[in-house]
Amino acid sequence: MLPFRAMSSGDAAVTIRQTPGSPSPLTLLRQGVTDILSRRRLIRYLVQADMKKRGTDTVLGNLWWILDPLLQLIVYVVFITIIARRPAPDYPLFIFAAIVPWKWFSAVITDATTSVVGAERLIRQIAFPKLVLPVSVTTAGVVGFLWGLIPLAGLMLLHFDRISPMLVWFPVIAVVQFAFTLAMAILISAANVFFRDLGNALGHVLRLWWFLSPGLYSLDNLRNVPYVQNHPIVADLFGINPFAILFEAYRAVIYGVPDGPQPSAHPPDLYALGALLLASVLLLGVCITFFKRVEPEFAKVL
Amino acid sequence: MTSNYAIKAAELGVRYDLRFNRKTTVRTSVANFVLRRPPPRFWALRNVTFELTHGESLAVIGPNGAGKSTLLQVLAGIMRPSEGTVDVRGNVSGLLGLGVGFDNDLSGIENILLGGAFLGLEDATVQELLPSIIAFADLGEFIDAPLKTYSQGMRARLGFAIATAVDPDILLLDEVLATGDANFRAKSKARVIELVTAAKGVVLVTHDMEWVTEYCNRAMLLEKGRVILEGAPADVVKLHLERQAEAAAARNAEALAKGIDPAVLAGPRGGGDGRRRR
Repeated sequence: MLPFRAMSSGDAAVTIRQTPGSPSPLTLLRQGVTDILSRRRLIRYLVQADMKKRGTDTVLGNLWWILDPLLQLIVYVVFITIIARRPAPDYPLFIFAAIVPWKWFSAVITDATTSVVGAERLIRQIAFPKLVLPVSVTTAGVVGFLWGLIPLAGLMLLHFDRISPMLVWFPVIAVVQFAFTLAMAILISAANVFFRDLGNALGHVLRLWWFLSPGLYSLDNLRNVPYVQNHPIVADLFGINPFAILFEAYRAVIYGVPDGPQPSAHPPDLYALGALLLASVLLLGVCITFFKRVEPEFAKVL
Repeated sequence: MTSNYAIKAAELGVRYDLRFNRKTTVRTSVANFVLRRPPPRFWALRNVTFELTHGESLAVIGPNGAGKSTLLQVLAGIMRPSEGTVDVRGNVSGLLGLGVGFDNDLSGIENILLGGAFLGLEDATVQELLPSIIAFADLGEFIDAPLKTYSQGMRARLGFAIATAVDPDILLLDEVLATGDANFRAKSKARVIELVTAAKGVVLVTHDMEWVTEYCNRAMLLEKGRVILEGAPADVVKLHLERQAEAAAARNAEALAKGIDPAVLAGPRGGGDGRRRR
C-alpha cells in the first residue's frame, strides 16, 4: 500500500551533541566555511528559485537591472551637467563605471537584509546551515550584475575609443567586490534578525555611502576642491572607503583618464586592491564567525 | 543500558532572552540600554532530564506553552540549549509542522528537490526517492504547477511526503496527525505508524491522548517548561487530564467570582503554540 521502501539513511551513526555556550571563534569559522561548501547544491537551488521568482531567467525580468542604472545615469548626467557645467569628458561612461557595480552592491545588501528573516518558518522547522541564505542572495546578485553589464557594454561601444585590453582587470576587481559584498551580506542578514528596523536605516546609509564614494566624481576631482587642497586628510579619508578603491579601479580599466589621447585605460591601483581583498577576506572570516555565533539564537528570536 | 541510548538529555534548559524578539529594533534597544531596563528572560524549558533507549517511543504532552515544541526543536538541533546537554545518536528527522512549503513560485517537483537539499539529503538519494514522494503526495498534474496554486491540504500532503520520505533513526513528530482530508489522514497515520515501528526512537508531541496510550511506551508531562511526571503513558495521561480538569475548574470558579459566564471562556481551543505568535 505504502509506496515507500525502507531506506537506510546513512549507516554511520550521527551524533548531535548540543551543549550550551559557543565553540571557539576558529571552530565557528571552520564550521561556517564547511556549511557553505557542503551545501553548494542547496545554494544553487536557492539561486535558481530566486531567479525564477524575479523572472531573472528572462530578458524582461531583467529589465530593471538594465533600466535602473540607465535611469540613474540620465538623472545624474542632467543634474551634474547643469550644476558642474564642466563635467569630465564622456561623463556618462565616467559615472556608469561606478553606477553598475554600485547597483550590484546595493541590491545584494537590500536582499540580504530579509534573507534570514524571510525564511523564519523553515528555520523554526528544519535544522540547516542558515549561512546558505545570505550566500545564495549574494550569488544571485552576480547574475543580476551580469545583466547590468549589458547597458555598460552598450555605453562602452558608444565610446569605443576608450576600450582597451585593460578590461582583463575587470573580473579581478569584481572578485574583490564580491568578497566584500559577501561579508557585508552575511553580517547584515544576521543583524536584521535582532534589529528589525535595520532595513530602514540601511536605505539611508546606502544613499549616503554612494554620495561619499567617488562615483559621480573622482578622487582627483576631490583633491582639486580648494578646501581639500588645504586639508589633504579629507581625500585620504575618502580613499579608505572600499568603494573609493573599487570605483577608481573600475574607472581606471573602463574609462581611463578624462583627457589626453585615448584609450587611456590603465591597470588599477593593485596595492589598494590587494589590501582591500585581504581586508575583505579577513572581514568575511569575522562575519562568518559572527553569523555562526548568533545562529543558534535565530530559532528563538524568529 | 546507559550505553544504548538514542537520546540522552541532562538538566536541559532553554532560556528565551526576550530582549530580542521579532519586534526588537535598534531604537527600542537603545532606549532600553539608556533606561537600564533589565533584559526580560523566560525559561521555556528547565531541568529536563530523560533518556530514550533504542526502540522506545516517548509522548510529550502538556498544555499550550508548556515547552513541548521547544523540546523537539532542541532535539532536532534547531535550537541550542541554554544549559544542560543533549545527545542524539543517529539520523534525526523531524516533522515539526507540515506547512513547510519551501518556495511558492517553484513547482511541486522543484520543491521536493529544494526540500531534500534543505534536509541535507544527497542528490542521488533525492532522485531515488522522487517517484515515491510524488506517488505519496498524490497531487496528479499539480505536481508540475507552482506551489502557490495549491490548496492548504495539497501543501500539507506535499510537506508530509517530503518530510517522511527518509526512514530516520530518530523521529520527531509535532502534532502532525491532524492535517488533510480523512483519506489522507488515514494514509499519513499509516505512514507514521510505519515510521514509528521502524525508527530506533520516537519523540512525539500530541494532544491526542488515544495515540499516546496506543502507540507510545512512555510519556512525559510538561507544564511551564518543567517535567511534572514521566512514566507509563496511562499514568501520565491520567494525571494530565486531572490537572487539566482542575485548571478548568479553577478558571471557571474565578470567572464565576467575577460574574462571567464560564461558557464564554470555554471557547474553541486554539491549536499549536501561540506564545511566539503574539
